Amino acid sequence: MEGIGKVSQWVFHLGGMRIEVNSATLLMSWLIIGLILVFIVLATRRRAMVPGPWQHLSELIVCWIRDLCVDALGEEWGKRYYPLICALFIFLLLCNWISMVPYMTAPTQDLNTTLGLGIMGFFIAHGTAIWVKGPKNYISEYFKPLFFLMPLNVVGEVAKVISISFRLFGNIMGGSIIIIVVSYLVYGLILPPFLNAFFNLFVGTIQAFVFTVLTLVYISVQIR
Amino acid sequence: MEISGADLIRAAALLGAGLSMGFGAIGPGVGEGIVGGSACEAIGRNPREAGLLTRTMLVGQAVSESTGIYSLVVALLLIFVV
Repeated sequence: MEGIGKVSQWVFHLGGMRIEVNSATLLMSWLIIGLILVFIVLATRRRAMVPGPWQHLSELIVCWIRDLCVDALGEEWGKRYYPLICALFIFLLLCNWISMVPYMTAPTQDLNTTLGLGIMGFFIAHGTAIWVKGPKNYISEYFKPLFFLMPLNVVGEVAKVISISFRLFGNIMGGSIIIIVVSYLVYGLILPPFLNAFFNLFVGTIQAFVFTVLTLVYISVQIR
Repeated sequence: MEISGADLIRAAALLGAGLSMGFGAIGPGVGEGIVGGSACEAIGRNPREAGLLTRTMLVGQAVSESTGIYSLVVALLLIFVV
């Protein structure tokens, strides 16, 4: 219970500046990247027309997300962006699921991870918009319905980034705090496995999916 | 018995956390209930599409949950950081 507000960090001083690194988030992210690489190696080792289990699983995920992307973005951009969306989805899925293992903390428990991914989605959406529409058209879009609504449109874009990252952060962080507090109150009897299953498996999957789909929707709204 | 300034700040922060989460839980509850009701109605009208309707309902509820999560974040900040 005492460890709830604490963030484990590495602090070192570099040329007069104090640099803090969130060690748990960093190590967990590397662990998840390692797990994804292992999964990729297993899935592509012996490719056959009748797939083995790992290849079958990866084909399910990739084909489903490719259909989703081509549906939302159209043929050309869908085929270009579906690897990104697929990587985002699998990364977030494993991030949320790994906090089921004891002593592991989810990287998405840290606002840095979710905000970083949200800002990445923001830059991808607006970069694609500038590439497709051209800078002049892109800026004139902000003045579109009525001329003086420009600040509202700008704030709307910033609010999208904040809402998408805080939704994921709040769900995972809040879930982990509720699990810790309730487990402390019932002395670890009976309830923790059900809470873990609900918050990490169910809510984690749904929130990873919602983050991915919303990033996709924001990109597709910019491309139109 | 003296109530010090630090105690007062702690008490106010805890009260604020309770109020924030208490009022913040009303909106998502109502909203997700409405979404669930519409999904039940739609499944009743078209039972073959139950899988797609359930998935869409879950996504809609997850997005509608977000303001409740914002108030949870505010409550956690008030409890653990103030």
